[in-house]
Amino acid sequence: MRILFVMKHRGNAGSTHAVANYMRIAPKYGHSVSIYGNPISYVPELQFSMDIRSFDRVVYVYESELYRIKRMQDAVLLDRFARRHRLIVDTDGMYNPLIHIDGYDFNHRNEQERAQWIDYIEALGDTIVQTTLEPPPNPKAGCLEFFGYNPTLELDPASVPPKAYDVLHVGHNWWRWREVSTELLPAIEQIREQIGRIGFVGLWWDAPPPEGSAAGPEEAFQSDPDELRRLRIETPRAVMYHDVIRTMSSARINIFTQRPVLRHLRLLTLKYFEIFCADTIPLLMLDHEHAEAIYGRAGRELVLTGNVAGKIVDALHRPDYYLEVVGTVRRHLASHYSYNRRVEELIAAVGN
Amino acid sequence: MKVLLVTWVDPWTRNVATIHKWVEAGRTLGHEVVIFGPPNADLPKLTFTTDLANVDIALLVAQLQPDFPDMPYLARFLDGIPRERRMVLDMWARYDETVRVEHDFNHLEKFDGHLGWEWHDAFRAVSSTVLQPTLAPRRPDVQSFLFHGFDAGSVAAPYTSAREAAAAWMQKAYGLMYAGSNWQRWDQVRSVLQAHAPLCAKLGPACLIGWDWRTRPEWAVKNGIMGMDTDPDLLARLKVEVRDGVRFDAIVDLLGQARFAPVLHRPLFRHLGFVTNRTFESFYADTIPVLMLPRDFVSSIYGAAALRLVPGDDLAAHLIEVMRAPEPYWEAVIQTRAHLAEHHSYARRFEQLGKLAAVHSARGAVR
Repeated sequence: MRILFVMKHRGNAGSTHAVANYMRIAPKYGHSVSIYGNPISYVPELQFSMDIRSFDRVVYVYESELYRIKRMQDAVLLDRFARRHRLIVDTDGMYNPLIHIDGYDFNHRNEQERAQWIDYIEALGDTIVQTTLEPPPNPKAGCLEFFGYNPTLELDPASVPPKAYDVLHVGHNWWRWREVSTELLPAIEQIREQIGRIGFVGLWWDAPPPEGSAAGPEEAFQSDPDELRRLRIETPRAVMYHDVIRTMSSARINIFTQRPVLRHLRLLTLKYFEIFCADTIPLLMLDHEHAEAIYGRAGRELVLTGNVAGKIVDALHRPDYYLEVVGTVRRHLASHYSYNRRVEELIAAVGN
Repeated sequence: MKVLLVTWVDPWTRNVATIHKWVEAGRTLGHEVVIFGPPNADLPKLTFTTDLANVDIALLVAQLQPDFPDMPYLARFLDGIPRERRMVLDMWARYDETVRVEHDFNHLEKFDGHLGWEWHDAFRAVSSTVLQPTLAPRRPDVQSFLFHGFDAGSVAAPYTSAREAAAAWMQKAYGLMYAGSNWQRWDQVRSVLQAHAPLCAKLGPACLIGWDWRTRPEWAVKNGIMGMDTDPDLLARLKVEVRDGVRFDAIVDLLGQARFAPVLHRPLFRHLGFVTNRTFESFYADTIPVLMLPRDFVSSIYGAAALRLVPGDDLAAHLIEVMRAPEPYWEAVIQTRAHLAEHHSYARRFEQLGKLAAVHSARGAVR
């Protein structure tokens, strides 16, 4: 089966790395995967195609924004793929009731925007899934874990450069500031003298996007660069998806955070898995139960929530212990979340 | 018959006048004609709908990319109307191989971001039946359907006597008026205005109505889009009154304020023999149309009498001759109106569309 993904493809964000994994694994099972569009020179390993009629199924991947292609091209897609052969993957929990988290993060600003989004998606197809293990609040949505773990991407400690950082956070400042400013930074301040270099790798930690409100709600990019400087937190540039794991491996510890609405909905993201491919100790800003549900029992041991400062110091002092825990989690992920499984699930979801 | 027109309707341009005629004629003839999409307060006489129930024929009237509905309407249209009830009317020869005539074109990526094959594929996605408003489509897989028509009831001053028409015609504020935006027609418009200028005192002043005649639009300059030329200095020297574009429903009355109304087709349409709304609408106005069109096209669309309205190589001489003896020309106008009413009425258009739809439907949902 030839599957065409229609999605916003960004080298430094989104779901591109997951689809790259599908591209690698699908041929083992007699399938192929491409992204709709023209090839991009800086990601030659990604397979693109605009030959719509050569595909059997289409998968639309939507984040918080409705990615649009030209309407004449849309017409060809809609004609080529019957409704039953269109799968819509909602990675940001948009196909749900209106959700506002503590007056901060939200899936839709208001009911009107939500209605427009739903209208669009339901016009497009009948099979809409969210990237979660648990049934979504919207009973019309299904579950598809979608993101997976690729053990071949695990970095051999012998092959990575010496650790430049003690602590890294790799991710864009998109609805993360509240958690960072109320939980992470106060904890870091307590133990700052015990930690070496700290880095927050990603976009918008220093400043909001230059395009202003066109990039999204202002509060999503809220930050305090002075406070970051005061705590001697560096803000290196964002990296391309294929450099994420290597970048994470430049630190002893990597901290995992997730924007509140996704965490509330327990939506999986690529970062859940990438962080365990890196040669690092992942520490997780997740609930214990959720961490166990994803990572197995060992995952609880890596949870930061409620004890951020103590856990960071402990991980820096006892790396061998934590790396053993990481090893256990990796084995769990390899057996439960491989892209081999993901490909089978995807094929089933698009209607084999 | 319930006809769904799928297109971007703009009160200022393109096919809006013809679409109104389809709706009015449909009402008279017992058909329902609706336009796909949300209501448009600027066009209260049209019925817009997103209800696709009981549609017999859905006609995508395609000229520009926005004539394809945006999402979610596009999905509703394609999923909601069976393929055997959908047809495409190609108003710009988008389905043809790329054609360049002077600066005019049917495909130009820097203009609309699409290559020729994209238009072809998008049309085939909608339907296997593609129609064009010409009597002689170039491609063997395209069928003729003129779409635009003539509504005898819309003639502003339906004279039956040439003498009466000619007498009234002498009292006009303008000598010549052209209504149409600046799109690939400057060379023709310039020739007409230059021929008219020496006669201005005798005929009355010239008026040019439409967008972008005062200056070449910035976006065309920036993108290097040719064919939107103008010469404001020349227009000033020729003492041409230039007005901005007007709504579709003001055109006929405006043209009636002038003695002469040239009918010009952009080079691409002239080359392909395409008709436009103005091909027919000019004969509603109380004016003498000047048919700046190929003679074989004129006789095949307007009938033999209309050949008298074709000026030949010397436009100035033609205008002087009409001024000297207007009655034979008015006789030609009256006969041409009768010809158009007989051969190009909207009742005929409904019949033609019904037949095309029946053939299309009988072929099934072929791709």
